[in-house]
Amino acid sequence: MASPLNRRLFLSGTVGAAAALGLAACGGGGDEEPEVAEVDTADFPEGSTMAKLADAGKITIGTKFDQPLFGQAGPDGKPVGFDVEIGKILAGALGIDADGIEWTETVSANREPFIENGQVDIVVATYTINDTRKEVVDFAGPYYVAGQALMVLVDNEDITGEDSLAGKKVASVEGSTPAQYILDNHPDAELVNFDTYSNCVTALINGQVDVVTTDNVILAGFVESDPDNLKLVNDGETFTDEPYGVGLAKGDDDFRAFLNDTLEAAYEDGSWAKAWEDTAGVVLPTPDPPAVDRY
Amino acid sequence: MGTFLIEREMLWNAFSTTLSLAVISGLLALVVGTIVAGLRVSPYRPLRLVATAYTEFLRNTPLTIVFFFYVFVTPSIGFAFDYRTAATIALTCYTSAFVAEAVRSGINSVAVGQAEAARSLGMSFRQNLLIVVLPQAFRTAIPPLISVLIALVKNTSVAGAFGVFELFAMSRRLTNVYSADVIAILLGVALFYLVICIPLGQLAGRLERKVAFAR
Amino acid sequence: MTHTTPDAAGGSSSPARPLVELTGVQKHFGELHVLKDIELEVAAGEVVVVLGPSGSGKSTLCRTINRLETVDEGEIRIDGRVLPTSGKGLAALRSEVGMVFQSFNLFAHKTVLQNVTVAPIKVKGVPRARAEKEGMALLERVGVADQADKLPAQLSGGQQQRVAIARSLAMKPKVMLFDEPTSALDPEMISEVIQVMTDLAKEGMTMIVVTHEMGFARRTADRVVFMDSGRIVEVREPEAFFSSPETDRAKDFLGKILHH
Repeated sequence: MASPLNRRLFLSGTVGAAAALGLAACGGGGDEEPEVAEVDTADFPEGSTMAKLADAGKITIGTKFDQPLFGQAGPDGKPVGFDVEIGKILAGALGIDADGIEWTETVSANREPFIENGQVDIVVATYTINDTRKEVVDFAGPYYVAGQALMVLVDNEDITGEDSLAGKKVASVEGSTPAQYILDNHPDAELVNFDTYSNCVTALINGQVDVVTTDNVILAGFVESDPDNLKLVNDGETFTDEPYGVGLAKGDDDFRAFLNDTLEAAYEDGSWAKAWEDTAGVVLPTPDPPAVDRY
Repeated sequence: MGTFLIEREMLWNAFSTTLSLAVISGLLALVVGTIVAGLRVSPYRPLRLVATAYTEFLRNTPLTIVFFFYVFVTPSIGFAFDYRTAATIALTCYTSAFVAEAVRSGINSVAVGQAEAARSLGMSFRQNLLIVVLPQAFRTAIPPLISVLIALVKNTSVAGAFGVFELFAMSRRLTNVYSADVIAILLGVALFYLVICIPLGQLAGRLERKVAFAR
Repeated sequence: MTHTTPDAAGGSSSPARPLVELTGVQKHFGELHVLKDIELEVAAGEVVVVLGPSGSGKSTLCRTINRLETVDEGEIRIDGRVLPTSGKGLAALRSEVGMVFQSFNLFAHKTVLQNVTVAPIKVKGVPRARAEKEGMALLERVGVADQADKLPAQLSGGQQQRVAIARSLAMKPKVMLFDEPTSALDPEMISEVIQVMTDLAKEGMTMIVVTHEMGFARRTADRVVFMDSGRIVEVREPEAFFSSPETDRAKDFLGKILHH
């Protein structure tokens, strides 16, 4: 008779294997790669960004290298994750295969300068669309809407959503937007702030706090790495909206329209859903694709 | 500065937390550090070794790791403290190692003849240390001790990363909400640290002058 | 080489048990053999002056008697009791052995009176009022009572050394050790310290004095111990030692000392 512990180990093994498969699919090339379109440069308007990139057969894409499930560099230095898959879909529409993509690490602070200086052609890097950023760059998409979520220990049953936080110890990072959200909307929760999310997770595993809150994307990364102990509340239900877009140079409206078309096509032909299922889908349920915003 | 007026209750909470962290761990560190320094010159080798290991280990460990130990590791083996207590313990341990070094160098600066005279009068090691050596050692140790205490005041900011809402944590929270006033907020917070540290420096000057006269 | 054994010289002292006994004492500083086969007995009330060239081991000898220096071999007894190696017993025995240092070693942060009272109060548990009364009497006796409230640094070297003697006397020691008590003093201050030591000897204090003051040795000592290269070479009555030293090394030493 299998003890609960054994069952847990067995389950975690299954998830781990699934994750490994997903990662192998992203990194390995071959049949699993997104389809690369047969593209004739003449298909694109002369002098357009699409024509230039398709001509060169190369594109430089900025993504995160430290965000599990979205953009995380493996030991070989190549990033894997949902953002990376989106990048491959967009490149594929230009007739550029995975080998023609140069991945550049972008962090939160340098995404706009990298686009403005032309160091990258596009950025797909858990990049929230907002008005401040739109003043200096343009966004295609959104291709995904992230949001603040809750993470608890696997055996926790009493935290079911943001309305059950009263009197609970809630861990987050001091000075972050999610922490401020708790202060503003749930003053009856006991907020405990640390400097890093990994310290929040340590506190959670130690039983020093009841729940950790931040973007579901970040939390999903922790759940993926420790599914025996951690789970997302309500399958990662979110209570704020962080629409992720593809950043590109400001004013390149043709290119933006092309990227939006490509995303919509990916919604249609299932490649968007496949990209999700192979990566973030290991932990998070597959959402409905968000409507692109052709502003 | 307007931000601080609006948030003066939060400011007062944060400031008093920083102050009490610094004062309580400062006093404890002076006591613990002095005892450790005493053990380092003890005639018993095992005590010397323990005290040396304590000092060297803590002095050469990043403070955040000491915090991590008391905030996360000791609770996992059954010794749980609230975050403020854990922060006070971490700051005390870390600072006491530097206090011990300052006091030890003070002890080394006391002429050997002082301790020999005390011994020849029949004083025990403890009496020798408490009555003769330490009062003189502290005189030379004042400048380094004040530096250690000033460093402690600034080190309290690490507590902000481990669940304690003090000045530095407050600055991070305020800069997130009032993002247009980042510079004013950070300057203001720096001022509050100065409010604690400058009197310490002056105290050092006063003590040194007093001691210089007595020598 | 003629060699007067300490035993022979000690034979003239009182038949009572000696107050200080050193038997078979050996000491090394690393490779250096600084005390060799030391045998010495000092009777109660006796004044012994230790002479010898520098580096002869006389200071080291003095310091082994209250274990400020440890010994490698041999036995040291104070009033019949073997000197313990550490702990309370050693502290108790030390409190019975006064020590006066070349560099005074007054407690720099304590007043003159506190220097004299601290050990009786803390070590012997004498009530403060009585310790201060006795302390003032001692300061009177060594002639520095008017400096009682000053700090040591405000006193001259001679005054400081007299306070140091008073400090040791405050513990009512059975024996006083003097380790070159006048060597750090300006010449005009030597006599005031020598005077205090002479008075002390007259009152019957047992004293072991390492010094270069030949006048003091000649006038006050009951016996002179002459050391060279870590060995006790001669033990004689002062008159005999100074007028007709037996060993060549003593002759050589006296020749150098007395002719300049």
